[in-house]
Amino acid sequence: MTEKAVKVDRLEKALGANKVLRGISLEAHPGEIFGLLGPNGAGKTTTLRIICTLLAPDAGSVEVLGFDTQVAPEEVRRRVGVVTAEIGVYPRLSARENIAYFAELSGVLDGELDRKVEAVLDRLDMGSFAKQRAESLSSGQKQKVAIARAIVHDPPVLMFDEPTSNLDVLASREIRDFMVESKGRGKSVIFSTHVLHDAERLCDRVTIIHQGRVVAGGPTAEVRGRYHDLEDAFLSLVEAAT
Amino acid sequence: MSSIGVVFRKEMREILRDRRTLIAIGLAALTTPVVLFVISQVSTRTAAQTYTIGYTGDIPTGLDILFSATGLKLERVDDPAAAAKQQVDLGAIFTAKGVDEYYDPTRQSAQVADIRLQTVLSRYDAAKIAASLQEKGVDPSVLNPLPVTVHPLSSPAQAAGNSFLSFFLPYILITMSLTGGLSAALDTSAGERERKTLESLLLTPAPRGHVLIGKILAVSVISLVAAVASIGSMLIALSQITFGGNQARISLSPLAAIVMVWLAVLLAASFASLTIALGTLARNFRQGQAYATPLYFITIFPASIVLFIPDFNPSLAYYLIPILNAVLVLRDAIVHNSLAWGALAVTSLSLVLTGAGCFYAALRLFTREALLVRS
Repeated sequence: MTEKAVKVDRLEKALGANKVLRGISLEAHPGEIFGLLGPNGAGKTTTLRIICTLLAPDAGSVEVLGFDTQVAPEEVRRRVGVVTAEIGVYPRLSARENIAYFAELSGVLDGELDRKVEAVLDRLDMGSFAKQRAESLSSGQKQKVAIARAIVHDPPVLMFDEPTSNLDVLASREIRDFMVESKGRGKSVIFSTHVLHDAERLCDRVTIIHQGRVVAGGPTAEVRGRYHDLEDAFLSLVEAAT
Repeated sequence: MSSIGVVFRKEMREILRDRRTLIAIGLAALTTPVVLFVISQVSTRTAAQTYTIGYTGDIPTGLDILFSATGLKLERVDDPAAAAKQQVDLGAIFTAKGVDEYYDPTRQSAQVADIRLQTVLSRYDAAKIAASLQEKGVDPSVLNPLPVTVHPLSSPAQAAGNSFLSFFLPYILITMSLTGGLSAALDTSAGERERKTLESLLLTPAPRGHVLIGKILAVSVISLVAAVASIGSMLIALSQITFGGNQARISLSPLAAIVMVWLAVLLAASFASLTIALGTLARNFRQGQAYATPLYFITIFPASIVLFIPDFNPSLAYYLIPILNAVLVLRDAIVHNSLAWGALAVTSLSLVLTGAGCFYAALRLFTREALLVRS
């Protein structure tokens, strides 16, 4: 495996007349939780969408485990799992069918399908509602389906984009525990959030972006520096960059 | 299984669990026989119905028997013109000089009664003239120096049935190919955005073209099933009912049935691509319905041409116009029970190209960044 799981180099992107990214660079490594922090509209989601090949950069480059997102987007998508705040599921399929669908589209072979789906159902403790139609699931259960479909093909890179913003305390706790567990399994976890307490508690390294530019980056403790906590550091850095 | 097959199977599973689509197909299959049954009952009743003539004066001998045999009932009134407005179906004043007829053309019963009256009077005149000529020793055939003997090459009743089918069948084929899969098409395109599942779907390594083909195949199958179910139920109904007291049944020839299925496949695939493309433009199901509404009018117009211009026999170039070409080929197969291979080839090419164009448009829309950014 390449040392850098994700390498983003001088990324630029405009959406219409709005220049969203102005030269973002960052790196995420295997076996760590990397925090992508910034206020709303800073460019976090756009950065993640470029990393997972949903959007193409205007300038700069992104590599995921050595695969350029522009050259080999399908290879990149095979190696990435993404969980977002939007927990859309297919309402007329059961939880299990939702997961199996994404597993098959992600290239899980027929012979392995049942085993992999069962494994992920067990891992996320979804047995009690696996056969239930998704339309009847709670938000927390739907979020589990969303996580399960993102990890069922066992990708080495996991990205979480504001994953807890629509969840209650219990479900949020489960997501955080899952990220820590994934890190322990050697995954590269990229965590995009504006909840700085979560980031400080979970992330090994962070990058703070504001108005499409990186304003600080490095190990979490280093970025927090002389401030009381990461939130104070964040506010100070963002204010200085404005 | 290839990603096309995976998407197809999942879409079919979702569609078959969607009550909206199933109800739409079921209603379409049931509505046509019900409508035909009502038309049959009305037309049979109209043919058997007795109409009333309000009259004054003396009716010539023998004419009353002819009236009765033709379903015209005589009723003496004071003022036939006034009575013809509401009280009776038409009014007549019999004088020594002839008959004054009063009827209101805005009343359908008056129109039917008028036709029957004219028929009876012309037969009565012909019989009286023939009798007078014979009394004077003149052969009545002198009035008809060039008699015509008609030899229909096919059953007139079957011809009337074919004429009926040639409008109704293309109309149902086209509307059901469009509307049968519309709900499924919008659900699989605009619905993906509305449910927030689109981003996750596009994050899979499956090529987007494969995902789109899987969706189009599923919607095409549903459109095809809807069209065939609707037409099948119509043909079954037609084989069981009669119109206007005519005992002949309307049926579809094997050639026309084959042509119909082939055209249904092409139309279903084209409409599936088109409606998915429109749905991809929409942010939600309701917006998708608004985008698709004009399609109803665009598609119904060509089907109506056969109704308004039954003898429309265009050049081969007209068969390049999608939908109109399908209507014309099907009409020819039904009415003449023959197939112009050139017209069918041009029609097939035109519909395949239309479907390919719609697929290309859908693919472009499905792969553009704005699809995600706008949502």
